[in-house]
Amino acid sequence: MVTDPLLSIQGLSLQYATQRGAVHALQDVSLAIPRGGAMGLVGESGSGKSSVVLALLGLLGEGASLTCDALRFDGEDLREAAARLRGQRIGVVFQDPAAALNPSLTIGFQVAEPLIQHQGLSREAALARAVTLLGEMGIPRAAEIARAYPHQLSGGMKQRAVIATALACEPELLLLDEPTTALDVTVEAQILDLLEKLRRERGVSMLLVSHNLGIVDRLCDELTVLYAGRVVEQGRCAPVLAVPSHPYTRGLLAALPRLDRGRMARLVPIPGGLPDLTQPMPGCNFQPRCPFALDACGAPQLLQGEARLSRCHRAAEIEGEAWPIPEAPEAVARPIPTPLLVAEGLARSFGGGGLFRRRAGTRAVDGVSLTIGRGEVLGLVGESGCGKSTLGRLVLRLISADAGHIRFDGQAILPEPSIAFRRRAQIVFQNPDSSLNPRQTVDEALRRPLIRFGIASGEEATREVERLLELVRLRPDYRSRYPHQMSGGEKQRIGIARALASRPDFLVCDEAVSALDVSVQAAVLNLLTDLRDTLGVAYLFISHDIGVVAHIADRIAVMYRGAVVEEGLAAQVLAPPYHPYTEALLSAVPVVGAQGRAKSRIRLKGDVSSAQGSAGCRFAHRCPRHMGAICDTVTPPMLAFGASHQIACHLPAEQLAAMPLALG
Amino acid sequence: MNSIPRTLWVGGVIVGGIVILAILGPWIAPFEPDAFNVRSRLQPPSVIHWFGTDEFGRDVFSRVLAGAHHSLLMGFGATAISLAIGVPLGLIAAFRRGWTEEAIMRGVDLMISIPPVLLGLLILAVTEPGLGKTILAVGLVYVPIMTRVARAVALDLLAEDFVEAARARGEGGYHILVREILPNAWPPLIVETALRITFAILLGSALSFLGLGPQPPDSEWGLMIAESRPFISEAPWIGLAPGLCLCVLLIAVNIVGEGLRDLLDPRLRGRGH
Amino acid sequence: MAGFLARRFLSVVFVLWAMTVMVFAIVHILPGSVAHMILGEYATNAAIAEMEERLGLNLPLYEQYWRWFSGLMRGDFGQSLTMERPVGPVILEALGRSAILASISIVLVAIIGIALGIHSATHVNSWSDRGLTLMQYFFIAVPEFFWCILVIIFFAVWLGWLPATGYTPLADGGFLGWAKHLILPVSTLVLGLIAHVSRLTRSSMLEAIESKYVLAARAKGLPERIVLRRHALPNALLPTITILAVDVGILIGGIVVVESVFAFPGLGRMLIYAIDHQDIPLMMGGMIVITAIYALANLAADILYAVLNPRIRVTGTAG
Repeated sequence: MVTDPLLSIQGLSLQYATQRGAVHALQDVSLAIPRGGAMGLVGESGSGKSSVVLALLGLLGEGASLTCDALRFDGEDLREAAARLRGQRIGVVFQDPAAALNPSLTIGFQVAEPLIQHQGLSREAALARAVTLLGEMGIPRAAEIARAYPHQLSGGMKQRAVIATALACEPELLLLDEPTTALDVTVEAQILDLLEKLRRERGVSMLLVSHNLGIVDRLCDELTVLYAGRVVEQGRCAPVLAVPSHPYTRGLLAALPRLDRGRMARLVPIPGGLPDLTQPMPGCNFQPRCPFALDACGAPQLLQGEARLSRCHRAAEIEGEAWPIPEAPEAVARPIPTPLLVAEGLARSFGGGGLFRRRAGTRAVDGVSLTIGRGEVLGLVGESGCGKSTLGRLVLRLISADAGHIRFDGQAILPEPSIAFRRRAQIVFQNPDSSLNPRQTVDEALRRPLIRFGIASGEEATREVERLLELVRLRPDYRSRYPHQMSGGEKQRIGIARALASRPDFLVCDEAVSALDVSVQAAVLNLLTDLRDTLGVAYLFISHDIGVVAHIADRIAVMYRGAVVEEGLAAQVLAPPYHPYTEALLSAVPVVGAQGRAKSRIRLKGDVSSAQGSAGCRFAHRCPRHMGAICDTVTPPMLAFGASHQIACHLPAEQLAAMPLALG
Repeated sequence: MNSIPRTLWVGGVIVGGIVILAILGPWIAPFEPDAFNVRSRLQPPSVIHWFGTDEFGRDVFSRVLAGAHHSLLMGFGATAISLAIGVPLGLIAAFRRGWTEEAIMRGVDLMISIPPVLLGLLILAVTEPGLGKTILAVGLVYVPIMTRVARAVALDLLAEDFVEAARARGEGGYHILVREILPNAWPPLIVETALRITFAILLGSALSFLGLGPQPPDSEWGLMIAESRPFISEAPWIGLAPGLCLCVLLIAVNIVGEGLRDLLDPRLRGRGH
Repeated sequence: MAGFLARRFLSVVFVLWAMTVMVFAIVHILPGSVAHMILGEYATNAAIAEMEERLGLNLPLYEQYWRWFSGLMRGDFGQSLTMERPVGPVILEALGRSAILASISIVLVAIIGIALGIHSATHVNSWSDRGLTLMQYFFIAVPEFFWCILVIIFFAVWLGWLPATGYTPLADGGFLGWAKHLILPVSTLVLGLIAHVSRLTRSSMLEAIESKYVLAARAKGLPERIVLRRHALPNALLPTITILAVDVGILIGGIVVVESVFAFPGLGRMLIYAIDHQDIPLMMGGMIVITAIYALANLAADILYAVLNPRIRVTGTAG
């Protein structure tokens, strides 16, 4: 039986007029969603995926011109009907709930607004319905929340309110534009559960726009991969993700650091960057970055295939061929188990003080001890606000500690450290735009540490700068570039080269790859791995992404609200026994190709900001394995499992050891 | 950097032209600006007297030329003073934090809670008026704003990762200030300075209009407009000539300021005083 | 909220006290003897000594300050040197007239400025928006005192429609006579400020229109009229409140100038009179009163801002 799809897009093209000429943001995009179906639209930044949502809603704004063969929703032409259908039969959830809610209206009214508008409900009736809706979205004390303003709610609660708004008029189609990207992973898991439940119980169709393949795999039946404005692959989720056909999809999957693949697998970066969208190529636009490309790929092409569409001339020929894996340099330096950095009882509070503002300070880091061996990578994982970045700066003495000692290579490091320590311990930052001085060339940025630490000067420094560039795989002519002349990934490499200039033994990498697209992130992660293996540099590798940490770390420490709750070798932390928080964190991560995980999922209630008090275990308020009063009042002991694995928990060791695997 | 917008060119050329005229004034003025000529009192504009003559028969065009450099000095001099005091104060506040910052910023809050013209009047009220004092007073009035801007700019930059990278190298405060902060701080500071010049000229000429600036027989545009008031119906050109020149100068300086803002610091677009 | 109000109120009190110190210090510490200034360059030593005795200038500075300050606290501003009257009533009379000028002006500025700003923002790049932008350039840059001259030449001298100077109280001249004397001063006062307010309203309104929450409101299927009125406008007007408070300061400066050109017997003209005649008590009193008004206007703006902004009005977390 063939029924018309609920949503059908055929040959959608979109151009934005800019000063540089027309940008072809979307070219010939087609997709269809059946009633009750869910389509994932995947692509990296610049792929045009968010423009699809705006085009469907008729909210493209000025300067955009749209052409298409068909844009139909349930038989109606969206080009005319969009204004009537949106909010009523088509609901939308945008990326950042903090920005999508009006700061000066109550939550309840914002949820009720579409009901008043489209269903003609009275204000009171609509508000009452809004409270019910909020409750259905899993918001506790919904009546109270309905009277609150957005700034009083946590990120997860805001996104639930946004979803309630989108669902108010019981739409048949929900457009989700990166609905969980702004949220922490445990909160993301809650929202994904909610969306999954909505699909199951209400049969809502979904178009999920995301850069995260794991999320799409969890929520969708079908998948469309978008590259530089064109659909490159389309089909059912499971087969596409298991055996991708288009080289770009293969590259994306191979570039993804995966929890379930463990540490040693090498990532596959996709070289190069997006093509110039002002001059669309007639042939394959992935050709310049594709390892399988031939000259013939320049010929015009179409999406081809039956159940599975792929925009590749050589799809059939290259079937089964793996993406060439870049060679790793031979590891010459392996971690030596002598401690390089030992930190004991580090603590730091923020806030408080001030002349007119007397507030109790919040303890960002509260008595943390760490040891990092020579050439060892200690991964530090935790959600936003857990204090991991503060800890990274405390360890380097970049901010003053309220308490604690640091020893580096046997020497005590005082609050005003010597230049020798500065030379040996450096830092790599998250944001490539902020980490380089916009008024300095690469040469100036890299030369300064050489001179500062007396490593080289003059001609010798020039040679050293070129060596550093080679180390991070950039051509020597990058010396004369300014930051604005480089891409994000290139800037990040310069940031790494600058940190390496003084030939340090220890690097703090603070979310060093978090701001990058997957394909670029893979290249930088490979680089960091190689540098550790060849130079023997030790890292404190800080990240919110446990997948990335699992990929690079020898040992992992898990942080929650200012304290380390679990620490051990990477393999130990990723397998039971777990700290209940680690267990929840691991089971929250959306992993590609793991749809069967549903049964073992652990979900946390609330989020970090709903914490109260600081007595007892910090995790007690959200802990799914909460034992009773002891968790709320007594600081948990550090339980040792073997020589290197420690968990701070009241649960008996046997019970922790008996936990099931949280992954796959 | 983008190409220079056309408006910036236009504004720049006009300001440049006025500056050149002010400098060349003494040589190109057709008459002595202070020379009385009782026989040609209150003459309307003509070929000989382009802008007419005033109640003493002085040539208005020559006086406007002579007054130009006073108005310009007022704008540029006062702004230079507020820059010279305000920027170091703002930088100190941003770098020192703690009590130093608290003291500087409370002082700034206090100064800002007095309306600008009133603050100017207060400073000038009990001293003998004169050009130098007016420039000083106008400069002082705008010190707190410059301090605020400089501090805000420096605080933004101090939070950048590249400054933290410098601290991770153990760089001293001098290096951080000179090599990391200042090269990035000048675009917003230049923009603020350019916009400030408009207000300095406005305030300075208003004060001298009120009699608290240069004194007769000196010529300054605000003062000339004030002096023309008794003859407003018989000889409106005495006030109109310097007034129109003042307007052209102010609009041109304003265009330059806004053009610079769009060029150097698009984030500030649409922000006001 | 209560804490916020208490803090703001304390800071107003502090500003006013600091202002008394500043005014006093500038008048008494700057070089030059006050008595000399009052009596002129050729005064005899005996006359100066007598004048200093009369004004209490021979007392130590802190005592002089205390006498003046405690007087202020009781509402006693001292005796005018040139008018043979106590300063308090003189200021009060002038204040009443200036208040008429100021309140009419600020209301006009708020209404017209905001209306034009919203029009520009909702008609970006239209001819009316471009025209308004061009006029804003012009009106912001033209000094008030030159406007005064222009409107006097045009409306009073050439057309003869309106009186160039003076003031008629409502009781004497009736509404028409009263209003006639206000039209020119008010219009010169408001032109620049309207340009300023409309420009900033335009940019804050544009920012709101481009925000994600307005996009979300459109995605809800609300009509554009409601999107603008309910979602964009309230958020766009918050910064305008702050701007209006700043403009009260500019307005006060304008009033000083405009009153002296139009011979309007208000606080500004009184202040210039006091400075010209070196009537020190009158001058000091005028300065304090004007600063107090400005501080109260700012306080009012802060309170209004807090009341309209839930992020300040409602604190604490929910859920």
